[in-house]
Amino acid sequence: MSLLSLALSLVFLLLSFLAPNTLTAFLGLGALGVAAFARLEPRVRTLNLALLTLAFTLFLRSSGNTLGLIGLVGILVALTTLPRIPRGIRVALGLAILLLSVPIAGFANTFIFELGIQIGIFAAMSLGLNVVVGMAGLLDLGYAAFFAVGAYTWAIFGSPQAGKFLQGNFPLPGEYMYLFMLIAVVTTAITGLLIGLPALRLRGDYLAIVTLGLGEVVRILANNLDHPINITNGPQGITPVGRPPIDWFRSLMGALGVRLDETTDYQLFFYLLVLVMIGLVVLANVNLANSRFGRAWVAIREDEIAAQAMGIPLLPTKLIAFMTGAAFSGVMGVIYGAQRTFVSPESFTLLASITILAMVILGGMGSIPGAILGAAALTILNLDILKTFSEFVRTSLPWIPSQVDPAKYERLVFGLILILMMIYRPQGLIPEARHRAELEEEA
Amino acid sequence: MKVLEVQGVTKRFGGLVAVNQVSLEVNEGEIFSVIGPNGAGKTTFFNLLTGIYTPDEGRILFLGQDITGSTPDKAAKLGIGRTFQNIRLFGAMTVLENILVGRHIHTRVPYLHALLRTPLARKEERKALEEALSLLEYVGLLHRKDELARNLPYGEQRKLEIARALALKPKLLLLDEPAAGMNPKETEALQEFILKIRSERGLTILLIEHDMRLVMRISDRIAVLDYGSKIAEGKPEEVRKNPRVIEAYLGRGAAGGAA
Repeated sequence: MSLLSLALSLVFLLLSFLAPNTLTAFLGLGALGVAAFARLEPRVRTLNLALLTLAFTLFLRSSGNTLGLIGLVGILVALTTLPRIPRGIRVALGLAILLLSVPIAGFANTFIFELGIQIGIFAAMSLGLNVVVGMAGLLDLGYAAFFAVGAYTWAIFGSPQAGKFLQGNFPLPGEYMYLFMLIAVVTTAITGLLIGLPALRLRGDYLAIVTLGLGEVVRILANNLDHPINITNGPQGITPVGRPPIDWFRSLMGALGVRLDETTDYQLFFYLLVLVMIGLVVLANVNLANSRFGRAWVAIREDEIAAQAMGIPLLPTKLIAFMTGAAFSGVMGVIYGAQRTFVSPESFTLLASITILAMVILGGMGSIPGAILGAAALTILNLDILKTFSEFVRTSLPWIPSQVDPAKYERLVFGLILILMMIYRPQGLIPEARHRAELEEEA
Repeated sequence: MKVLEVQGVTKRFGGLVAVNQVSLEVNEGEIFSVIGPNGAGKTTFFNLLTGIYTPDEGRILFLGQDITGSTPDKAAKLGIGRTFQNIRLFGAMTVLENILVGRHIHTRVPYLHALLRTPLARKEERKALEEALSLLEYVGLLHRKDELARNLPYGEQRKLEIARALALKPKLLLLDEPAAGMNPKETEALQEFILKIRSERGLTILLIEHDMRLVMRISDRIAVLDYGSKIAEGKPEEVRKNPRVIEAYLGRGAAGGAA
């Protein structure tokens, strides 16, 4: 088995040089499946994963095919979940993938940067929602509202828009984006407080409905606040939203020997910025989970009455969870607006809230690696697989009517995924440690 | 010193008077039992004391402070710990985490310190962990610390629930049918345990219990509720002989009264 698995990885490595095409990518994914699931000696498995990392990187460099990115995500999942891999190797390979493989692939195909940034933004948000839904058990269907508030916080002041209703010199210089990331934490936390104060008095389904409604209120406000005073510029959205100047970043990269051009410099910058943000968000998540706040949230999820009998005040504790989740989302909103240089109400619909919720559920409620994996899987599905598939249908199977274009059935696919998950794996792809223990003992 | 004073407390649910003009006083260090037939209003009475319900009439004083109509979390902060008739543990949390939640009000970590895991937060966490472990050792559940609460056998779940209430460091402990579902041997161990925590932790204990042998052996004083009203109060031997109590439990004929 070990030999077969190693042979497969080596063949894939070889083919990545000779014929980096879609078939090769599928062979690579197969090799990864064998390396992850076959019964292998830990050392062989580790070697295998390292080989595959190298192979997928080479493959991406020569082809830019996004299937390679799925392979890299798969390796990351294997590194976080499989037992008995030395800790140092996990960290080293993980960092190599995030800091070397993905940027190398991004230079071959800038769409990979785009995917990486989107995955990162959504991963950070699903980590925020994970605090609210996963830990505290508060079903929030209006989470995109906080993303919107964060995005607009910077979009209004980082573009000429603020000049339409305020005296002063707008847009603010791009460096202010960093400051506005902090300001967005405050504005979204306040929004969380305003939405949470009435909503969090309710439980379960009622809470879900009210958050859904209040989330829509925020989007509709963004849509309609172009009169009497033009604050949000209504449905047209705001553009161009400022970006921070990155001359320091270009010279830093130049010093490291990385040559950047006009299109890739900001992509790489935002990709790395998003990575840093995920690092911070994960750290905050872990710290909170292991504090009196995290325990109080889980206690409330488990039994509100018992939690209260332990001296945990319900409303304030739930509000803190709500505001924490909101703040994570708000920061990512600022980055989202700056990266796309365009913000409009369309990005913050109910579907966006449900997408983020689906990421949390797919990954495993309460689980930190799960939330990140859920974000990666659904973002890739959404932006890449469905689009590629419909492209394939349009060109290769032209007799299929355009009404059944797979890209139009995003919601259907989400729904199917959620139903299948609920039936076959309700604890999520990477369950929270608590749930995992629970299910193992039941088995 | 009086730990608890209940003055003419009444609670109605629609037309039903669940607790009717009940007054009683509990002294420091006492084990005071509340007994009565099913549906006599005992658990409602507990829920009034801990702020789950607000009384329609009357006042409740805890250590001389009026706590009528306060919330459960405030009652807990003031020093009233409780267990529940149908065990309410945090099932998906470990035994240790259950105790740590019990220590919630004693772990003073501001939000930003917890978020950044500052030295202050680490110090408080370490202290909480040490105290939780020593409490688990005290109640004899240390070997179970990493198990999920819901996987514990029934008797140990009862014990863990009491331990979790002890983690609050309460002055008054309310136990709602702690011996329910226990065999005589387990009940005996429970009796020892209750007496031990009373003397070693300086607790005052208010107990609801159906097991009469336990109640008679352990209580300093007993109050009897029937249809929401207090029909008797006194030392165990007094209550045992009280004709109204016998009537409430066994019916008129048994009390020897005229038909």
